[in-house]
Amino acid sequence: MSAATRKEQLYGFWGSVAELFRIALRAIMGSKMRSFLTTLGIIIGVLAVVAVVSILQGVFQSFLGQFEALGANTLFIRPNYEMFSDRREGVRRLKLTYDDAQAVAQQVPDVRAIAPMLFRSDSIAFRSRHDTTTIVGTTEAYGPISDVNMETGRFLGPMDVDSRRKVCVIGHDILDKLALPDQCLGTEIQIGRDTYTVIGVVEKLGGAFGESDDDRIYVPLTTAIQQYGNDAANQLILLVQVRDAAHMDSAVERISNVLRRQHGLKFGQTDDFRTFTQEEVLKQIKTFTNVSTLIVVAIVGITLVVGGIGIMNIMLVSVTERTREIGIRMAVGAKRIHVLYQFLIESVTLSTLGGVIGLGAGWGVSLLTVWILRKTVSPTFPAAYVPLWVILLSLGFAALTGAVFGVYPAVKASRLDPIEALRYE
Amino acid sequence: MTASGDTLIEARDLVKDYPMGESVYHALRGVSLTVRRGEFIAIMGPSGSGKSTLLHLIGCLDTPTSGEYVLAGSPVHTLAPDQLAELRNKEIGFVFQTFFLLPRANAAENVELPLIYAKIPPAQRHHMAMEALEFLGLQTHAAHRPNQLSGGQRQQIAIARALVNKPSLILADEPTGNLDSKTSENIMGLLVRLNQMGNTLILVTHEPDIAAYAPRQVRIRDGLIVSDELVGASGKGGGS
Repeated sequence: MSAATRKEQLYGFWGSVAELFRIALRAIMGSKMRSFLTTLGIIIGVLAVVAVVSILQGVFQSFLGQFEALGANTLFIRPNYEMFSDRREGVRRLKLTYDDAQAVAQQVPDVRAIAPMLFRSDSIAFRSRHDTTTIVGTTEAYGPISDVNMETGRFLGPMDVDSRRKVCVIGHDILDKLALPDQCLGTEIQIGRDTYTVIGVVEKLGGAFGESDDDRIYVPLTTAIQQYGNDAANQLILLVQVRDAAHMDSAVERISNVLRRQHGLKFGQTDDFRTFTQEEVLKQIKTFTNVSTLIVVAIVGITLVVGGIGIMNIMLVSVTERTREIGIRMAVGAKRIHVLYQFLIESVTLSTLGGVIGLGAGWGVSLLTVWILRKTVSPTFPAAYVPLWVILLSLGFAALTGAVFGVYPAVKASRLDPIEALRYE
Repeated sequence: MTASGDTLIEARDLVKDYPMGESVYHALRGVSLTVRRGEFIAIMGPSGSGKSTLLHLIGCLDTPTSGEYVLAGSPVHTLAPDQLAELRNKEIGFVFQTFFLLPRANAAENVELPLIYAKIPPAQRHHMAMEALEFLGLQTHAAHRPNQLSGGQRQQIAIARALVNKPSLILADEPTGNLDSKTSENIMGLLVRLNQMGNTLILVTHEPDIAAYAPRQVRIRDGLIVSDELVGASGKGGGS
């Protein structure tokens, strides 16, 4: 008995909602063209937002991807040139050496790998071709940390470093710069005054924004030191990979302590080196993303208000047209709240359907736009990307619009007098 | 089970005024009426007599300006709009002159309508609607929309809707007003049958030959009951 009553009550609520939803769908599908036109404002609003956001997000994502390729578990350390107002003085007095790297690797258990890097700009030549590029002296550790993928050949190995071999791994752009033959492995090229054998070519990285890691040549650190001298060897950049990104902060602290000891810094003296984590860089990008999100939300708001007015307009017409229906429902026992919910759910359903259509159409438009941009502007233009929050935001706003602008017509319907409503012609 | 002889309607001194600009229109000037369960009453009167207003009051679509109206134990004159809606849903089945079916819903769905607001689950609802349609021999038309049905069939669907929730009172407002005489006869025959099965029936009409089906005839004029007489057992229409 009581179970039956409870079941009845349970049906009472969800059953009523399902019922009203069914009634709403029938009314909407009963006049498809009109429903479509009613919700067109919502459709266009959501379409525009989804198209713009998905293209922007695609660009952001590829941007983020370039930083995240190094991983959240990596950090850079370089000499703290900002200590000196004159950078040349910094270059003269500051040191970050291979020994420092060794000390960090040995004394900080959080560190999985460390790749010292020596950067130099130098001239390169093959046969009659001359050019300049960035020479990166490093160790075999660089490959795994930076997740280097080889197009052909191999990356630097421990033997290359230990034996100071005159071998090099070239970035993709170098192939063009020096007009190297298709089978370039084993080819000898000039770097500065010395001759190096090409042992590998790194896969093209792309990089939509100017300076690219493709315009580089990697050589063994030991060989580079031999070529460029001890001054260069004292000004390394350390690329560090920690075991667990979650412990990044404590790792940074331990690394700092080791380097302070290595450099004989006393308590109170500023660090003569600086660390940069991916997190810091990413934070800046995300701030930018958040601002643009805010702008988008504002645009959604405005367009949906316009769409909402359209919905309210037609719902008011619809209430008038269906006065008789409202009267019939009231005569057979519909309470005011039933009529109110019926029209409210109808407008919410209508606007949400508009949101869904807008979402699909916006996605289509962004795919098309990217396709056109790839044909015309840049073949590597990043793919459009619709984050979940955009979907939820659009549908949420669309539904909310239907609710807000549906209230007035629904209240108007529910306040009708049954006799008047039945008499309405 | 309703024992014949129980009082279903007890109306005392019903007054209904409508403000008409400066003045007041007195639609009902003090109408008293008692109806027992199982009765079949025709309320007759020309247009403007107040019979429509009385119908609205009896049908719980409106409340009197003054006076008391008790329907099946509920003091209707004291109720708020939502309570009236609930009472209509439970106690009254309406049959209207122009049928008042929902055009977009099929016959079965139209019949189900009162059950939706009675919060009866869909499966049971459909079953009850089909039962009512079967009773009227319309089960084969369950999936038809009103515009696919004849006038007589539409009114039968409306009667099925009025019956489906097993109300205490069936209120028919000029039920044959939009039908030809042959169909009118069928519909009236059906209403008589419903009365013979124990349903209380109040019929509002201005046509004497339709009113003649009812054993009790109440005449109303200028907002007052002018006659209330038993004319014998319900029979075939025409002059009595």
